Amino acid sequence: MTTPPHLNAPKKRQRFRTPLSAAAILSATVLTACSGTSGLVSAEQVADRQPADGPQSGGIIEYGHLQEPKCVYGGWIQENFTARQILDSLVSQDADGKIVPWLATDWEVSEDQLVWTLTLRDDVSFTDGTPVDAEAVAYNFDHWLDGGNGTAAAHLGGFYEDSSAVDEHTVEVHLSAPFSPFLSTLSQSYFGIQSPTALETRSEEENCRAPIGSGPFTVQAWESGQYLEFVRNEDYNSAPANAKHQGPAYVEGIRWSFIPDNTSRYGSLLSEESDVIGEVPAVNIAQARERFDFEQYITPGRPVVINLNTEKGAFADQQVRQALSFATDREANIESAFLGTVPFEPSGYLSQSTPDYDVDAATEYPFDLDRADELLDEAGWTERAEDGTRLKAGERLEVVFTYGLNTIVTPDGNTAIQNFQEQARDAGFDIQLRPLTPSENSSGAFSGPDAYDAQVGYWTSPHAGILNINYRPGTEDQPNGANTTFLVDEGVFATIQEALQAPTSEDVTKHFSQAQHELSELAPAIGLYTQTNTIAVSDELSDVWLEESQGSPVFHDAYFRAEESVTEEEG
Amino acid sequence: MTVPPLSATTEPYQATTADPTPVSPRQRTDPRLVVSLILRKLGGAAFVVWAAASLTFLMQALLPGDRATMLLNQQTGQVQERSAEELAPINEMFGFTDPLLVQYLSFLGGLLRGDLGVSYQLLQPVTTVIGDQIAPTVILTFSSLVVAWVIALVLLVLTARRVGWVSRLFSGLEAAAAALPQYWLGIILLVVFALGLGLFPVVGGEGPLGLVLPALTLGLPLAGFLGQTMRAEFERTLDEPFVLTARARGMSDTGVRIRHVLRHALLPGLTLTGWAIGSLFSGAVIAENVFSRPGLGGVLVDAVNGRDLPVVCGVVMLVALIYVIANLVVDTAYVLVDPRLKLTH
Repeated sequence: MTTPPHLNAPKKRQRFRTPLSAAAILSATVLTACSGTSGLVSAEQVADRQPADGPQSGGIIEYGHLQEPKCVYGGWIQENFTARQILDSLVSQDADGKIVPWLATDWEVSEDQLVWTLTLRDDVSFTDGTPVDAEAVAYNFDHWLDGGNGTAAAHLGGFYEDSSAVDEHTVEVHLSAPFSPFLSTLSQSYFGIQSPTALETRSEEENCRAPIGSGPFTVQAWESGQYLEFVRNEDYNSAPANAKHQGPAYVEGIRWSFIPDNTSRYGSLLSEESDVIGEVPAVNIAQARERFDFEQYITPGRPVVINLNTEKGAFADQQVRQALSFATDREANIESAFLGTVPFEPSGYLSQSTPDYDVDAATEYPFDLDRADELLDEAGWTERAEDGTRLKAGERLEVVFTYGLNTIVTPDGNTAIQNFQEQARDAGFDIQLRPLTPSENSSGAFSGPDAYDAQVGYWTSPHAGILNINYRPGTEDQPNGANTTFLVDEGVFATIQEALQAPTSEDVTKHFSQAQHELSELAPAIGLYTQTNTIAVSDELSDVWLEESQGSPVFHDAYFRAEESVTEEEG
Repeated sequence: MTVPPLSATTEPYQATTADPTPVSPRQRTDPRLVVSLILRKLGGAAFVVWAAASLTFLMQALLPGDRATMLLNQQTGQVQERSAEELAPINEMFGFTDPLLVQYLSFLGGLLRGDLGVSYQLLQPVTTVIGDQIAPTVILTFSSLVVAWVIALVLLVLTARRVGWVSRLFSGLEAAAAALPQYWLGIILLVVFALGLGLFPVVGGEGPLGLVLPALTLGLPLAGFLGQTMRAEFERTLDEPFVLTARARGMSDTGVRIRHVLRHALLPGLTLTGWAIGSLFSGAVIAENVFSRPGLGGVLVDAVNGRDLPVVCGVVMLVALIYVIANLVVDTAYVLVDPRLKLTH
């Protein structure tokens, strides 16, 4: 096949549209099954490169997704998902969190850990014909740090110095300080490699709506408010080492529909209008587990936590922070708010799926109301007002919690926060909730140390290096807006730096553990639940998987099962 | 009919005396009157659109918080404060740090040139953003309106002032329909007719079949409103002496209802329609969301959430324009329905 098929062409794959036709096909299958031939699979469905008994080629995957990105590639998690379909990264992470080759086949780091040398594949081109070479990779590094991707810049900023092509297929990246999670960082699709020709010669709008990479699909069309159409890259030869197959994708394309309403999205899977959906609604998860291939990805990085303002107000006092950490039964709270579908996360710093997570540090604050009362008494909050709120020198223990409702915090998460507010009353906290609209939330007007006593948020990251982003003390010259607890603790910061600079992975783990214990003692944050990503896949479709670094669905290996194998399973 | 038009003073008098044509029973409309009316209406429309654009611009620009911070945060999914260094390129690109008056004047200048600007978030020209999404919204709005009118008219003619329980039952149903929350109705229609019975697609798309449930979602409550408004007038008119006269002439009951009574009942319905078009336009977002339809509603919500000023202003101006046009059409329709309102004074 040389010309990409048009996605508007009718599906070649037969679909069960009505019960009647399903029954008809079912009985026909029973008849033909005896003869042992694939009687229902038309010749078109079997691509010439596939053996007849292997995965079938062809078909368009109908994928129902919750949110529409602003651009196909960018710094938002939604853009990470779409970018994964069209861009290749330098390395990938396998299911065990091990770094495996992708565009880079080999890598080494200098003794002082300041120079990373990456060896690239020599046979890969972008879909505009530009070769994927050392120059192109170096160009991308500069592009990310130069405003091309804010999330990439947040990860590498302060470490990245420059990069250069040693020869055509070898690139050197120079760091200003050692950064042990370098490769893990690069495995995210925020670090997908784009064609420098496209970035230089095309308009911002073009690069936003149809970036050029070397990935398994290309962007064919984007009907705003409806869907993104991806079409197979027929020349694809650069799948990561942890992919289930090499070569072009089995399916001809993906129609990535935006279905914001939960009932409609799950309904589209039930009515077979979608083959896969993302963000399975909590109320449907139990059924989805039974009826479909259901997968839940627990996002690594900072989970959904309550960040306490350590600079101003009641939480400037460490004992008050610890008291609130003890004050509520968070595990029962999360269980009830999410109907048991989302894991409770005791840690305020890392989620349980993050490499180097320390479970002992995470569980230092079980529900213990007596301990909370003791700590508050010691901190001087000894009196109680008539409504039970504690008083200190006549001042009430009244604190304001802000959070972006329906952006950062889902409606279920909102229930969890309300439960927390209710439970914390027993210890004498009067928590005022201030949900923020999307525009208030991101405007910066509610982000400074004067704006809140506590703020709820999360930050996805494939490694514990997120602690460095969240807990680097801001200075006059180098403010750190990502430090939302405003914690200034040189001790913890030094421990995190040791972890980033540790020579072996054992040392990295040791220092990150220590950092988690130190943070736990300082108690600038309280864990609530993990951020998750879920998909449910119809049983007509095989081998959709969620990649390890950020949980993007990967469709390159997916294929539609031959009709008879589906019906056989059903029978 | 001798009262001179207000705007023309003595000239028409001289004209009529100079040319003593007999006054026809139906007085002709003075063309100058029409021109002045059109000019006034156009001026009014321009004023409404300008005022809507300016108010929106000022509100968006003056809300607390910083637009460059917001853009940067939305591009990275964060909610933090940003350093001046990070903000500088964005401020320069969009001119956020210019004095407000300069920003406003350049915005107005763009409007005069027909340039609505470029979306901060989508990096597309606003005209493209709106142009891509306007068709589905217009189709949905007018389908809903047609659905509402058809349901309201049929029920009205068939059931008003019938056997006591019939009238009461349908009047009650109309009131109930008017009170239906659109979001709830949409979900119920989706669950019953798309998921349960499989008659319609769950994900709307652009096909005519996908339009049925969204149009009903918006149209049913509106039909209730229209029916209730017209029913009172309809029933009052049935008591008028001329109805009795018509019946005495041997006209059939249906004929009387449609030809004579309905004409009177239409007026309050028309008034409501002018309002309904604008309201459907802005309410379309609910049907768009539930049925995964494209459209301006979703564009506006996203733009407001992101304070994407050029897009918000563009959509608001468009809706203002549609309100103005809808009301002009309704004014004209009044005259068609009730000839007494013809432009004579």
